[in-house]
Amino acid sequence: MEVRKFILKRFIEIFIIFFVILTILFLLFRLAPGDPVTRMVDPTLTPEDAQHLIAQLGLDQPMGLQYLYYIKNFFTGNFGNSFHYGVTVFSIIWSRLPNTIILFTTSILLSAFVGIFLGKIASWQKGTKTDTWMTLGALACHTLFLPWLAMLMIWIFGFKIGWFPLNGMISPEIWMDPSSGLWLKILDVIHHMVLPLATLFSIHFGSYLLLMRSSMLDTLKEDYILTARAKGLEEKTIRNKHAAPNAALPVVTSVGISLAFSLSGGALTETVFSWPGIGRELVFAVSNSDYPLAQGSFLLIAIVVLTANLVVDVLYAYLDPRIKY
Amino acid sequence: MTVNPSTQTSKISVRPSKRFPTIERLKEGWTIYKENLIGKIGLTLLVIFALMAVCSFFPPLIDPMYHPMTGVDPQISHSTGPSWRHWLGTDFIGRDILCQLLAGARIAFMVGISAAFMSIFLGTIIGMIAGYAGKIADTLLMRLADMIMVMPTLLVVLILSSLFGQLNIWTIVLLIALFRWPGVSRVIRAQTLSLKERPFIEAAKVTGASHFRIIFRHIMPNVLPLSLLYMTFRVTSAIIIEAALAFLGFGDPSTVSWGMMLQWVWKTGHMFQAPYWLLPPGICISLLTLSFYMLGRAMEEVLDPRLRKEVAQE
Repeated sequence: MEVRKFILKRFIEIFIIFFVILTILFLLFRLAPGDPVTRMVDPTLTPEDAQHLIAQLGLDQPMGLQYLYYIKNFFTGNFGNSFHYGVTVFSIIWSRLPNTIILFTTSILLSAFVGIFLGKIASWQKGTKTDTWMTLGALACHTLFLPWLAMLMIWIFGFKIGWFPLNGMISPEIWMDPSSGLWLKILDVIHHMVLPLATLFSIHFGSYLLLMRSSMLDTLKEDYILTARAKGLEEKTIRNKHAAPNAALPVVTSVGISLAFSLSGGALTETVFSWPGIGRELVFAVSNSDYPLAQGSFLLIAIVVLTANLVVDVLYAYLDPRIKY
Repeated sequence: MTVNPSTQTSKISVRPSKRFPTIERLKEGWTIYKENLIGKIGLTLLVIFALMAVCSFFPPLIDPMYHPMTGVDPQISHSTGPSWRHWLGTDFIGRDILCQLLAGARIAFMVGISAAFMSIFLGTIIGMIAGYAGKIADTLLMRLADMIMVMPTLLVVLILSSLFGQLNIWTIVLLIALFRWPGVSRVIRAQTLSLKERPFIEAAKVTGASHFRIIFRHIMPNVLPLSLLYMTFRVTSAIIIEAALAFLGFGDPSTVSWGMMLQWVWKTGHMFQAPYWLLPPGICISLLTLSFYMLGRAMEEVLDPRLRKEVAQE
């Protein structure tokens, strides 16, 4: 019951935050220098079509009404038309969303699990060579410049050695071929995903490792660890059953805090690898002054961040029953 | 630090009034810092990069063709590899890569330190006010912080630059600062909350000190070391954001930055042919951010006796 109340509270909070973001974006798009009409309506449209779109977006109305139109359009999924693609923004970002989620979720989960696992080992071997090298390695990986690492990956593993494709998400020849089965298609996507995933993983696992290490070291000083030792439990049991689950809690929190950072990284990765996700679409839209697409993809990214935050909160509530809300 | 405690105590007692407590404290911190391997590596790297930034002023004086932005070698019209004339080669229109690299160090320091300073300034003041005032002010400020914290800074700045046109380097610095204070303010707020209950604040209140005086005279000196620590981490993130922005083509077009150099390699399709051009800027960004990060971690140990004791016991 407590937990359910807490989740509801967080949900309302996150909804309010999203509403504020929505409003700020509205104000920015209306108040920025230049004419909002030319910004939202494709200059290549015929006058009748343009008029229709202006009426639909409420651009001929006073500010207050425009805002209501804007909110209504948002909740009915009407973000206008992309200048570049000529189709609705909604259809574009909707088709990109799964691609981003696949890459993003896999990279976060993978780096969190590996980071927690390695952090556990490093803390257990504290002061030894293994620990020093792990800490240094994690620091070095964590501060690598992401787009550069992505380019290195493509250069070395894609171009020089040729193990993986240079960019993209699918090979058209496999997907166009009616004889190729589902497994072949999935393998093809995985083949394309290895390099972007490796890039994101290298950047992220280090911070989880360092966090898990210091959290473990704190936990090991707790009285219940002493109790476990006094009971004569095996060291392995103490490490894996008593210390690690508690030490992993701050790491879960930090996953939530670093989500925004990971999404920025995701956008960069998608751009360099031409991975057809929302982040790349946003960068593309901004570079080409495709304002409706930029607005739509930004809002969707905001929704992804906030939802992921909520998921982390819920997870935390279940993982740590001691917390009182 | 455990070398000979007796001399240290005697040193302090010799000076009757400890006229420079801050300097004393710094000295003490330095003795702890010196013991730290990560701190030493970080500081060495930083000194090297600082030298690079200083050296960036000289090449254009030798020959205008070594100017990072406008200097074009008249004999070269495409990217060439390292040679005696151009130690790291040239870019696609014949500009010297080494000179760009040196100028990039200057920009990175400038962006990193000024953005970090501003965000620390904001974060510290907001954190102290939220923690000290409590109630509505606290709730409002911390909600604002939460909201900014969930926003991906890079993408927000991207959207802004699409709306307001090409941003110049100082606008970028300002925007980074405006979006990077919440983390700091949370920490400072927590620290202020615990400081607020201490007797010396009570004493100040009793003697009739104003809120302004309590915050800036009594609380601030106690949270400043923590702010300074967070500044090193903010430098790292500011450098990364600026570089990423420049890499995507939204940097200030009038200055060379490492991110922009990488963008040139990428956009002109030299990624596979010109490792002499691809490698240096990336290595520099990564190492500079690493060195600030290491500095921060070593400082953490100086400031947090808990971390330090573990090392000493080992």
